[in-house]
Amino acid sequence: MSVINVIDRIFGSRYVLYLVLIIALIYPLIFPIGIPIQISSRTLAVYNYIQHLKPGCHVYMELYYEVAARGELEPNAIALIKQLFDKGCKIVFVSTMSTGPLIFSLLKSSAPDVFANKTYGVDYVFLGYVSGGEAAVASLAKSIKGTVTVDNYGNPVDKLSLLKEVDKATDFDLAIIVSSGTDTFNYYVRQWYTPYGTPLLFVALSVIAPSIEPFVSAKQAIGMLVGQRSAAEYELLVGRKGLGIASMDSQSLSHFVILIFIIVGNIVYWSKRLEAKKAKGGGR
Amino acid sequence: MSLTIRRFIPQTIVSIILIIMIIFYYFYINKSVSDAFTTWDKALSDWAVIITSFTLIIGGIDLLRYHLVQIKKIGVKQLPFSGTTIALEIIMVIFALIGLYYSYVYPKLGITITTQPQFTWLFTYLYAPTDSAVYSILLFYIASASYRAFIARNPMATLLLITAIVIMLGNTSLGNLIWPGFLPLRDWIMTVPNTAAFRPITMGVGFGTIILGLRLIMWREVSWLGRRE
Repeated sequence: MSVINVIDRIFGSRYVLYLVLIIALIYPLIFPIGIPIQISSRTLAVYNYIQHLKPGCHVYMELYYEVAARGELEPNAIALIKQLFDKGCKIVFVSTMSTGPLIFSLLKSSAPDVFANKTYGVDYVFLGYVSGGEAAVASLAKSIKGTVTVDNYGNPVDKLSLLKEVDKATDFDLAIIVSSGTDTFNYYVRQWYTPYGTPLLFVALSVIAPSIEPFVSAKQAIGMLVGQRSAAEYELLVGRKGLGIASMDSQSLSHFVILIFIIVGNIVYWSKRLEAKKAKGGGR
Repeated sequence: MSLTIRRFIPQTIVSIILIIMIIFYYFYINKSVSDAFTTWDKALSDWAVIITSFTLIIGGIDLLRYHLVQIKKIGVKQLPFSGTTIALEIIMVIFALIGLYYSYVYPKLGITITTQPQFTWLFTYLYAPTDSAVYSILLFYIASASYRAFIARNPMATLLLITAIVIMLGNTSLGNLIWPGFLPLRDWIMTVPNTAAFRPITMGVGFGTIILGLRLIMWREVSWLGRRE
């Protein structure tokens, strides 16, 4: 058996790959390596934009993601909330996904320090799940109080002091869309940016980012934070080490393992192809 | 049902609403007309929200009916697929009933079913780990494919492979240690070639939506009525 065939048998085995991957994922989580993280110009631009918002600004944040996407999106959301709260900004949270209320409770439990000195109803409000997809997004842009009568916890929206300050899309200095789906970003571009000009910030999964990039390039969104990498960078910028930084080593090593398998796969493929050609007597 | 009820009335409503929406969105007549339109527009949005909520219930019932009919038609062969779907629907109803029950028994705990501790427990300890686990398994599928499928068989595949490697290394902190240029290069790929590729798709979707709107106004589009043209 040739060397190439031996390599093919080892690397071609799913069990070997799975084992190596599991080690590459778990080891850095238990024993962090601490690979330095370079901050990209795009993440820095988002950070600077928020830093330049006036203190006490009003921000709208849509949480549209499921538990599966939590690892990539939640660290981004927490880092952004920290920066906004540190600036004294007030946030209206909403979700047009049915699991939104539970996602919000998980988010709060992941960052108790961020919400610690903030008063519900004054500094932040959670409207809960608003059904209706794009129609709900359009309705919220026109009037929050006209769309929902109570918040997630049953408090009448008229009695919440924050909602006395804001009601429609134009009242917000920034709308942050944290979403695991592509459509949500389209909804906000169509229903918030185009008619009202509300600045949008996208927080997307790495797999979704390419499809919504044209909105960012066309300045329909002020920027975009993408996946774990942006989360780690943003955590560094706001000075709160969280899940983003903690899982960057894991991501780096697992990507590296995949990369090695791709390279070896190509070497094996071309070696076998050349061997086959030789065996045919240098045929076509 | 007569043709008038099942076709003409819905199509007339849709056409009138579409025409009114287009006129008031693009043309300014005067302030009172604009204010009146804003009120109507808000009412229409509210109706859409209510209708969408009810469609979820109708969808659930329709799905259940479809699978029951399929089991009746095909028999045991259909059971693994349809049975699983029905079981999932039953779980969905159980989740909803538990939430509604506790909302009713302990109203002080919250008015929405998702704030009930029992419901939260089901979500946190049943749904959340399952959802995360299923999504995580994707990594192993992709990794398996990396060895066999990501092969530079021709120049186009090679270009795709190089791009993928740059993006992968740009997304990791390890890439920066190998060469600091990976991050700016990843950003360039995302903003320039990627945008150039995706923009026509986005514009195509936009044009498609306009054409769909025109077809709806002219009664050429009838698929939404649930019947073939």
